[in-house]
Amino acid sequence: MEVLASLGDGFSVAFTLQNLMLAALGCFLGTIMGALPGLGPSNGVAILIPLAFTLGLPPTAALILLTSVYYGAMYGGRISSILLNIPGDEPALMTCLDGYPMAQKGRAGEALALSGVASFVGAFLATWGLVFIAPQLVKVALLFGPAEYFALFTLAFATLGGISSTNQAKAAFAAALGLGIAMIGVDGQTGVPRFTFGEVHLYDGIDFLVALVGLFALSEVLIFLEHRHGESEASAKKVEIGRITPSLSMLKYCTPTMLRTSVLGFVAGVLPGAGASLGSFISYSMEKRLVDREGTFGTGDPRGVAAPEAGNNAAAGGALVPMLALGVPGSGTTAVLLAVLLALNITPGPLLFTQNPDVVWGLIAALFIGNFMLLAMNIPMVGMFTRVLLVPPRILMPVVAMVSFVGIYGISGSSFDLLVMVLFGVLGWLLRKLDVPLVPIILGILLGNAMEANLRRAISISDGDWSVLVGSPLAIGLWVIAFVGFILPIIFGAALKRRMKLAASKEDEGELVD
Amino acid sequence: MRFQHSLRFALAGAVVATGMALAPASAFEPEQPECIAPANPGGGWDFTCRQVGKTMQDLGLIGSTMQVVNLAGGGGGVAFAEVVNKRGDDNDLIVAASTATATRLATGAYPGNTMDQVRWLATIGADYGVIAVAADSEIETLPALLDQIKADPASIAVAGGSAVGGWDHLKVLIAAKAGGIDDFRSVKYIAFDGGGEAVTQLLAGSVQAFSGDISEAKGFVDSGDIKVIAVLAPERLSGDFSKFPTATEQGIEALGANWRGFYAPKGMSDEAYDHWVGQIKALYDSPEWKEVMAANGLEPLDLQGADFEAFVAESVATIKDLTAAITQ
Amino acid sequence: MSDRILGGTGIVLSLFFIWQATLIEISPFSDVVGPSAFPIIIGVVLGLSSLYFLVKPDVGPEWPAPARLFEIVMAVAVMVLYAELLPVLGFIIATALASSYLTWRLGTRPLQSVLVGVLTSGGIYLVFRVILGLSLARGPFGF
Repeated sequence: MEVLASLGDGFSVAFTLQNLMLAALGCFLGTIMGALPGLGPSNGVAILIPLAFTLGLPPTAALILLTSVYYGAMYGGRISSILLNIPGDEPALMTCLDGYPMAQKGRAGEALALSGVASFVGAFLATWGLVFIAPQLVKVALLFGPAEYFALFTLAFATLGGISSTNQAKAAFAAALGLGIAMIGVDGQTGVPRFTFGEVHLYDGIDFLVALVGLFALSEVLIFLEHRHGESEASAKKVEIGRITPSLSMLKYCTPTMLRTSVLGFVAGVLPGAGASLGSFISYSMEKRLVDREGTFGTGDPRGVAAPEAGNNAAAGGALVPMLALGVPGSGTTAVLLAVLLALNITPGPLLFTQNPDVVWGLIAALFIGNFMLLAMNIPMVGMFTRVLLVPPRILMPVVAMVSFVGIYGISGSSFDLLVMVLFGVLGWLLRKLDVPLVPIILGILLGNAMEANLRRAISISDGDWSVLVGSPLAIGLWVIAFVGFILPIIFGAALKRRMKLAASKEDEGELVD
Repeated sequence: MRFQHSLRFALAGAVVATGMALAPASAFEPEQPECIAPANPGGGWDFTCRQVGKTMQDLGLIGSTMQVVNLAGGGGGVAFAEVVNKRGDDNDLIVAASTATATRLATGAYPGNTMDQVRWLATIGADYGVIAVAADSEIETLPALLDQIKADPASIAVAGGSAVGGWDHLKVLIAAKAGGIDDFRSVKYIAFDGGGEAVTQLLAGSVQAFSGDISEAKGFVDSGDIKVIAVLAPERLSGDFSKFPTATEQGIEALGANWRGFYAPKGMSDEAYDHWVGQIKALYDSPEWKEVMAANGLEPLDLQGADFEAFVAESVATIKDLTAAITQ
Repeated sequence: MSDRILGGTGIVLSLFFIWQATLIEISPFSDVVGPSAFPIIIGVVLGLSSLYFLVKPDVGPEWPAPARLFEIVMAVAVMVLYAELLPVLGFIIATALASSYLTWRLGTRPLQSVLVGVLTSGGIYLVFRVILGLSLARGPFGF
């Protein structure tokens, strides 16, 4: 119980008026930044670093502020996913799939509240994981060599089928498109430019945030523009928000989902190089495999909201494990936090827990406090957030477009990125019309480089022997799961599709439209 | 403005007072000092800008807040092109740079740009390269590692945080060259995303050696998980790191410093150039900066103005020679 | 029909992608796998999936009428112009213009649109520049 004593010390560090105020401030700003498209957790933290330094905060206080922002942004990302179908940041991508349909059915308030609770459960369990098993978990991270990472990424893509489209070929097309876009830029292994056509701006590749905001936010604006005369007057539509607290029975219904995905997300977060996005993604697709018997995932199933939110918040906590114990950032945000730690003269690594216990335990205590604050802040604020839906789209949509532009421009300072974003907006509009899912594109862009790099590292280390990819029990296990995940939906999917085809056969005349 | 000044005075007290004394009287004073970090927030260059900006302001070396602008792209190439093409005569602008900048200039990774299109201001320190192996490795010295590579190149994979042909790779090659390995392509180098990931893979046993900066290795050396077999510095480092042998004392003449510093637009007036050089020198000499250096594992490297220009020219030439030798 | 066009475009794209992948210069430092192999694998997956819906297309979507399509093209043009003019006009002016246009085209009365545009621009400036301290485009007037 030495751990609990240390945690108690941590709370005594964190429980000062100043630190509590900082945590509240960080949670609030983080939630806002998470909700704004284009500003994710990593940029949110980076933006507030100067503030932390300008205030002249001591290390623990600075860390409390910045990790509160981190957790806050993880909470906030879901808000625009649910209300606008625009993920506020990349881990909130999967929350769109069921969150937005729920909002359309007039259950926006419920979806927001439920996802708030799921975020809390995920983050809360992950923080306990950080307390008790962080040192042991580091050993898990060390089991993952390049070959195992490659198998893990393949698993992520193999379970992709049918996640947001009934047409497997279109999901594969979208994933390949995303992976192809990821290949643009200077090759991280050899330094040669690929698919850049001599354009210097492309040397760093396409930032996934640019693609994310373009594909989701701008295409949404175009769709509104297209349908303006379709519905008589968009603003006249009665907006239903529904109840703003989740019912106990719904929470009960979603509890097993939240517990399972918290564990899964946490483990994904612990693996450096997997990160929160993979955590929420795997949480969603695994949960869909496990419990979605009626095919309700993707149409506004509450479990489809709870799963990715518990998963990504647990992953955010998990990602702190390799950062603190190995000095290896598992995500963009922890990379920024790592830079902050170094700046504060704290060297993360195996000795951090013994050399700077006040910092570590203060931080962990702050995570608990921030988490409760976020829950307390987020549930009452659901009513406020949902008011966004009362703004008529003719005013809301331009604001969303402009915020997207500013978010991207403010980070990169480049007009070129804005042009690429517009291009993605048009592409997103076209692909949505054609029923090509957008989620696999983003995942392809996010994971493409890491997937390729690990493949090439594995083969380089083995001097060209491809059998290294199945060279460890862990790798073989991952391949088996990937294979099962890929084959099962094809067998069951075919049966499901036949049934759906029967239902859809009446609409076949639509083909003559163009 | 005055009010802000006095406020800051009151807040920072003694620190500012000593800083003000340090600032030399100079005719030029940047109105809106700006530092371009040629990368996204959170990286090394971003950090250079922010840390220097903050410390300079604390010391009163600049009159107003240093505005940090992130201009990412092309591994610094976008910012370099912007400074050359659009901001060529801006007196208020400095840009963060490091050995990576020189490496990319040398290998032509900034298309159409060369080092003499900008003015090089000064350094603020350097990170020396280290070569390390896992604590339980049988290899104890740098010559032993190089002998093993000579005998059986496939048995040693070296991990580093930069791309193939990047700085971490070049450090291995510098050591290999000094150790008498002629076929550079036989040296197996595996590129990872950053030094931390490379060290982790060393611990995981995926690779046998690590090439990186001293700051990346620090935590793991302290914990006894890895052992440093050579520091690529001219002489032993200070403090905790003094127990590690240099490559030179093991008979391998290999040096590898990752310097950090700034360049400025070519058309910057001489007055402004001298002012910035002077202020960065004043920063470098301050005790506050010494603390920052110690915190970040930066070692002394004190070069300004013409000396720095010559140093960059020399390192660009060295890297060019090295890559030419390999690519033949 | 739409899916067939998508499939055809996808196949052309995949062939172009594979062709470009073979043109990547192999650096003398290259690793065993090299920079071309993975893109070629992706190109093949892209081509195969395109082939699938070229052969078995889904029901086509409903495309907008020419007038609506024109609206979309104009909106995209305004966004492109915005990206180009942002560094020239500065943030506040460019943003006010672009958001006024979009608000107007989404069915707000012209005068009201200008008001909304100016408010949007000012509001965003307040949040991103003043509160969060991001560096936005500075125009001739310093904002």
